Amino acid sequence: MGSKPKKTKKLNFMPSANRRINIWYVALILILAVIIGRLFYLQIIRHDYYRKAAQADQLKEYSIAADRGLVKAHEGSQIVPLVLNQKLYTLYADPGYIKDIPATAATASAITAGDPADYEAAMRRLDTRYVVLAKRLSELQKNQIVEQKLPGIGIQAQTYRTYPQNNLAAQLLGFVNDEGKGSYGLEQFYNKELTGTPGLLKAVTDVRGVPLAASKDNIQVDPKAGSDVILTVDLGMQKQLENILKKGLETARSNSGSALIMEVNSGAIKAMANWPSYNPAEYYNVSNSDVFNNAAVSSPLEVGSSMKILTASAALDLGVIKPDTTFYDPGRWDLDGHTITNIEEVGGAATRSIAEVLNQSVNTGATWILMQMGGGDINKQAREHWYDYMTNHFQLGKATGIEQGYEANGYIPDPLSGDALKLTYANTAFGQAMAATPLQMAAALSSIVNGGIYYQPHLVEQVGSQVKQPNVVRTGVVSDAVSSQMRSLMEYVVANHHFARRFGDKYSVGGKTGTAQIANPAGGYYEDKFNGTYIGFVGGDRVQYVIVVRVNDPRIGGYAGAGAAQPIFGDLAHMLIDNFGVVPKK
Amino acid sequence: MNIRSRRRPQLAFNQPGTSALDSQYLRRHKADHSLLILTALLMVIGLVVVYSISPGLAASQGISQNHFIVKQLIDVSLGVIAFIVATQLPIEKVFKLAKPLAAIAIIGSLVVMFTPINEAYPAHRWIRFGGFSFQVVELIKFALIIWLAGWLAKRYRAGKVNDFKATLRPLLLIVLAAGFVIAKLQSDFGSAAVVVMIIGLMAYAVGVPLRRIAIVAAVVIALAGLAIASTPYRRDRITTFLNPEANCQLSGYHACQALTAIGSGGVFGQGLGFGTASFGYVPEPSNDSIFAVIAEKFGFIGTTIILVIYGLYISRLKKIIARSTNWAYRLIVVGVLAWFSTQMIINIGAMVGLLPLKGITLPLISQGGTSLVFLTAALGLVFQISRYTSYNVKEPEPTGGSFETKNNNLGGRRLGRAYHTAVTARPRT
Repeated sequence: MGSKPKKTKKLNFMPSANRRINIWYVALILILAVIIGRLFYLQIIRHDYYRKAAQADQLKEYSIAADRGLVKAHEGSQIVPLVLNQKLYTLYADPGYIKDIPATAATASAITAGDPADYEAAMRRLDTRYVVLAKRLSELQKNQIVEQKLPGIGIQAQTYRTYPQNNLAAQLLGFVNDEGKGSYGLEQFYNKELTGTPGLLKAVTDVRGVPLAASKDNIQVDPKAGSDVILTVDLGMQKQLENILKKGLETARSNSGSALIMEVNSGAIKAMANWPSYNPAEYYNVSNSDVFNNAAVSSPLEVGSSMKILTASAALDLGVIKPDTTFYDPGRWDLDGHTITNIEEVGGAATRSIAEVLNQSVNTGATWILMQMGGGDINKQAREHWYDYMTNHFQLGKATGIEQGYEANGYIPDPLSGDALKLTYANTAFGQAMAATPLQMAAALSSIVNGGIYYQPHLVEQVGSQVKQPNVVRTGVVSDAVSSQMRSLMEYVVANHHFARRFGDKYSVGGKTGTAQIANPAGGYYEDKFNGTYIGFVGGDRVQYVIVVRVNDPRIGGYAGAGAAQPIFGDLAHMLIDNFGVVPKK
Repeated sequence: MNIRSRRRPQLAFNQPGTSALDSQYLRRHKADHSLLILTALLMVIGLVVVYSISPGLAASQGISQNHFIVKQLIDVSLGVIAFIVATQLPIEKVFKLAKPLAAIAIIGSLVVMFTPINEAYPAHRWIRFGGFSFQVVELIKFALIIWLAGWLAKRYRAGKVNDFKATLRPLLLIVLAAGFVIAKLQSDFGSAAVVVMIIGLMAYAVGVPLRRIAIVAAVVIALAGLAIASTPYRRDRITTFLNPEANCQLSGYHACQALTAIGSGGVFGQGLGFGTASFGYVPEPSNDSIFAVIAEKFGFIGTTIILVIYGLYISRLKKIIARSTNWAYRLIVVGVLAWFSTQMIINIGAMVGLLPLKGITLPLISQGGTSLVFLTAALGLVFQISRYTSYNVKEPEPTGGSFETKNNNLGGRRLGRAYHTAVTARPRT
């Protein structure tokens, strides 16, 4: 039974009602079809356009800072770090995300020891989404802030320089500013090498600019750390030089000065300092930006009578005088309507030797030496010879290329054009009317006493893996014979000047004072303001070091060169002999 | 002559929408289980997408990482509960609930006027208590459909569908009242459009002459035009809609970002864990804009699949409507289809730039608790109604019916033994 269902009558209820439903249904399906068509247009035909629009909006490029190279220097036989890196933290707020401003400000400022009122004011700013609340927070402070989980408060790590030797050699080093850029000194000169190659992060970000990890468009290039730099400087010597300079300036009642020690046979700077200096770790507390300058390199001066060493060297090398030449010095020269005379102690007209011209610092004698280069007159030939020696032999009037920011060129007057050329050139023979930096004088003197080789002055012996060899800029600055004659002449000067402690027979020490009138910016020179300089060398059978000292406007009696700069030179020379193994004569 | 149908328990004739025809053919059978599958599919898509964007979204708002997925899980659970409850409620009792529900909706509409306004959404739409918020308009839709279905079915049986006094005037009043309350008082233009569409399509389905519907539609459109012209932000939305890319930074921001996200998806999409729209670019990525987020992640293929699922859903509902001989049941399904399809079209249409932006959720996918719970409750009723469709011989009736219990005894009579036998096992004599 029931194997075959019985056929039932076909039901056909509500045909008209269902027709309405069918029409509605078809309309709905059509709408869906239209939407799918629209999606086809947006997602397939216009895909590239919208993809680009999205990337333009969302893909951002970030630079990943590379670790900055370290700076190291010698300390005896060791190489020790002078500048290191340290990670500190910047605290910032995104005002839009802070829920409870007074509470957040109170919590954050309690940790950072900041002023809650300042924080509140910053958090209430509506015009920005990034306000820095505090900089240079320690790791501990950072962790305390993070623990608080304050909405709208963020932490960013930033690398800062740290100085294990504190202020030592500050002006050589320079500093790194908040943007990570080296300023002044070595940091500026080698900014590129120290910075390294920053990495690149091209990342899709969220609407606040925070990079998202999950994106196929992200590109990351790892940063390449900066090169470490090793200085030629000896930190022990540097420390002592800084102390001696500071003490010497105090004694001379001078506000500022410089001193440097250069290795004669390589041009390497072993120590260089200026006073006043600053703390590079807190460079932002410095009110007068002049102290950032390494004045020994960036501040040229009229060197005064120290220049006579160069004048005599040039004349000897030209063969127009001999070391034992004597001549009649009239005690005054009238040139271009002006008179060149000497200081009182020298006296008037006399027959003088070259040694006495240097020892007593006779301006008219130096003028006479210059005249010999032109056959007895400061004519064109004399000026061109002297100009050639100053600029091409001694490399004055142009930067030496030492690894420092803001190196100055100095100034040498043109030999062929200008007013009162004879007077001007006569002045250059004893170090006025021209300007040179202490560094330029050290390099020039080195080339005179080392046998005539001009080495480029340098502070750096290694950058990354690249070892820098001493760079010979010129040979035959003066002949070997002249070099030896000049050493004797300079030793004679030292022997005939007063030093608190003599240097003994085992060591060869030579030098020359300089006292230069300070130019008045209003024109002419101050009657009562002088800079004192001293250039000299220390060695045994071979000269090892050249020392240059500069004392600005000392306020003690006597001549600036002899009274203020010479004692500093003496102390530095003794320091080298006592502590830094100057090889005595055999 | 079908003997079996005579033995069937008779439905009570005093219930709305029942007729002699119903008693002859209505028999409880297996429900339309494809509704369950499609509902689950849409809910799972919503859960997966919200799960994948939840951490980033939470991070950009500075809240707990799992905030959004936990909320969505709670909402979906409540939705499932609402669905199950609605399938188990005796449907004739539901009609009796229509008036109390409508009363609650009206009270809710009054209460919402006095609730504090949220700065982010300056409109009286939500009643908040504790961590939950309740959107009154969803209850209005639910109550309206049930009440209107019963009421229109009665009018239909009385042959008064085309009677101005008995049917059309009340209908017009309801449209205007709902429009005023929702669009004007609650500032919810999108929901007002949905409600008006529900009423209009139910009237259309019950057979109100097209000419009358057209007149009402003209009045409604005129009033809507007036409302748009009188509110600056709505005027803005219209101009933005007409040219969104002219002002991508300000008023066109949402529209531009939605288009950018959809367009960036391409054919295959960027993948579930990828895509950037939800990281603060598209506003309301878990809610109103979830379609744009899906489009970016799953591409044209994904969006087409979603639309096909919606199309299948619509066709199932349409089939249930076409086979429902009980007018009250039939009109409930009509109302639910109107609700479901209108929201879907308004939401997706806005995302793809075919319609102006409205704060309307994407049915069953979007986050939005109230909307989900009431929609699933309504779909639960539809599921129950799908047991009482009529079929002719060419299309065999779905088999099954294992859920029959005393509670489902529609006629309230004592059931004979044969009724408890499985449908398939019964002899077809």
